[in-house]
Amino acid sequence: MRDPISILAVGVSCPGGTGPAALEAQWPSRRVSQITNPAITREVATIDLAAEPFNRWRMRPRLRRASPLSHHLIEAVAQILEARPDIDLSRVGLVGSFFIGCLVYSVRFYKGLTTDGRRFASPILFPETVVNTPLSHVVSELKIGGPVYSQTGDTSCWSTALRTAALWLANDDVEHVIVAGGEEFDPVFLDVMHSARWFGSRPEAGVSEGAGAVLLGKKSSQALAHITRIVDGFAFRNRAQAAKAADSLLAEFDPVIPVADTAANWTRRLAAKPLSGRMLSNCCGVPKFEAFTATCAWNTIRAVHSAEPRVVVPFLGLSQQMGAIEIFR
Amino acid sequence: MKSSNEVVVTGWGCVSPLGGNTESTWSRLVAGEGVRAPITCIPVEGCRVTDGAEAVMPDLDWLPKKSISRLSRAARLALPAAQEAMADAGILDTNGRSIFPRLEMSLSTTANGMELGEEFLKGVWAGSFRHQTSRVSRYPAHQQVADLQQNLGFTGPAMVVSNACASGANAIGHAADLVRGGFADIVLAGGFEALCELVYCGFDCLQALAPDQCRPFDTNRRGLMLGEGAAFLVIESAVHAAARGAKVKGRIVGYGHATDTHHITQPDPTGAPLETCIRRALVQASLQPADIGHINAHGTGTPFNDSAEAAAFARVFTGNPAPRLVSTKAAIGHTLGAAGTLEAVFSLLALETRRIPPQIHTSDPIPEVAGWLARPGEVLEKPVVLSVNLGFGGSNAALLLAAA
Repeated sequence: MRDPISILAVGVSCPGGTGPAALEAQWPSRRVSQITNPAITREVATIDLAAEPFNRWRMRPRLRRASPLSHHLIEAVAQILEARPDIDLSRVGLVGSFFIGCLVYSVRFYKGLTTDGRRFASPILFPETVVNTPLSHVVSELKIGGPVYSQTGDTSCWSTALRTAALWLANDDVEHVIVAGGEEFDPVFLDVMHSARWFGSRPEAGVSEGAGAVLLGKKSSQALAHITRIVDGFAFRNRAQAAKAADSLLAEFDPVIPVADTAANWTRRLAAKPLSGRMLSNCCGVPKFEAFTATCAWNTIRAVHSAEPRVVVPFLGLSQQMGAIEIFR
Repeated sequence: MKSSNEVVVTGWGCVSPLGGNTESTWSRLVAGEGVRAPITCIPVEGCRVTDGAEAVMPDLDWLPKKSISRLSRAARLALPAAQEAMADAGILDTNGRSIFPRLEMSLSTTANGMELGEEFLKGVWAGSFRHQTSRVSRYPAHQQVADLQQNLGFTGPAMVVSNACASGANAIGHAADLVRGGFADIVLAGGFEALCELVYCGFDCLQALAPDQCRPFDTNRRGLMLGEGAAFLVIESAVHAAARGAKVKGRIVGYGHATDTHHITQPDPTGAPLETCIRRALVQASLQPADIGHINAHGTGTPFNDSAEAAAFARVFTGNPAPRLVSTKAAIGHTLGAAGTLEAVFSLLALETRRIPPQIHTSDPIPEVAGWLARPGEVLEKPVVLSVNLGFGGSNAALLLAAA
């Protein structure tokens, strides 16, 4: 990125409720069994879309059949637009970052065609399995008129999405960009996490869902905080390479700037060494649940609202890439 | 153009149903050949339509056998296309590794290594633990990113855009934006898509698949044909290309993108969002519609897409000589996340060779574009080509490509 960008507003939808304060609330959780081995249960915190305050989107015609992910995203993005009614929606871009994507309907659609027969696959479900469908619902309902990208990757794609926003702002393609990270929960993902050994060692984090969003603009005195650096592209293929990538990533930042402790999965052990020589910040709180790109968004929002005047927030991708941002208040 | 950094293309490569590399694909495409055959690489029994266009899978004999067995079908398509593009641009060393240790990528796909995800789900439902780790770890798009980086010898930032069928044009446009904005000097841009059961059955259940040949812009069009493939381009700033003595093969002069909120699977019938994209690309390129000699259309062959697209073209080019129009999807099928990248390569090849692939299988064109469709042996007479893509969710994108 060439110039700092400003975070002008934020939005949150999480199991604790809506708005940034919900991130600090006690989240309702339950134990959910893995499918392949029901004896193994994991702690899970999910959002009840039928309950207030999440249910305000349920009766919108376009959202009646939409995926949970669509609902999480629209709630987070709507909070931003409600906080900043002054911005020109025709000049707002939207970048989404997703690790899991539309998992619930993808699993349901594939289960249907493999059990009922391919001829009976559901034409209602299929469009909702497409990765960019949730953001399409969001821009349609909220009348956002700028460019839209749905970006995928491991959790580090949050920093890649922030970089896309910085690019659009630098090129004057738009006046503002909303970057949103969101995920939805399906029990099959517990088997994914288990198979890929992503839970990590005890105390293991639970799995969660929801969305977080930030409104970005060119540097402004009205900002909640500024993003002064975005560093990404530290790739790895195995855990030995991941340790080196984490070292190299953090070496990019001034060692006097505290680093937020954001590792909530197998990367916790990985992060221990490179973080040992750094001043740590607990501005993102102790990670109890992992919601992937949504967690990255929430960690960014927590850092914005923390007392730290300057902090590095790393996004230690689960399986391929790492990135980090520097936030200045 | 308005930007300070001129964006050039110095290499490209592709894998398609017509061939395992650019030369074989292009020679058959301009000869008017097409592919349509029963699908054998994935299970489609029970679907209403069971034909499509499978890619010619190149040998990956430059990779260790163990590595090949671990690759998803999408990665097997992406790797040779990327290797060809990098070799064409002269950025591979004698060992087949990138001469740039850090090389940014801008990629597109919609289904990733989906067949591995499907196998994982079947395994979960069967209570099986065998091979589940390799399946789940090789499915996501970022694993195809890792396959490219590991096997072609580089690292660096990678953006994967998944904007349905417009993703490929978005990936190239994003790469051009990165160069134009000074965020990168050189970018490997590309798209890849492998046929998979979930997506095939999805289009089948929407009754969007053509029961016979795909006939873009025909009054009797009955749907699309699914295909698979990959295409990559090396995109860099003119200054960077000149500094390393690279041959400029084409230029990216304009990019426009917009979202159509009309319906989740159907475009605005007026074509207005696509028209917006094209006009944005023209403004960025400081060009007029009359400057465009050829359009590589999205042209899926579905009733809704082609009529909306034709309406947009008719408005943009009113009062101007009609550009020569082709949808290459009639020949290679709709390759979804790879479509925009394959069609950009075909557009650049048209500029380089001055040959336009003929529109095949269309005998009774719709009125808006009657007389526009390219015939066999046509020559490109103007040095600018427009390539457009539309996707589910309303993603629209337009690229303007110019001769070197």
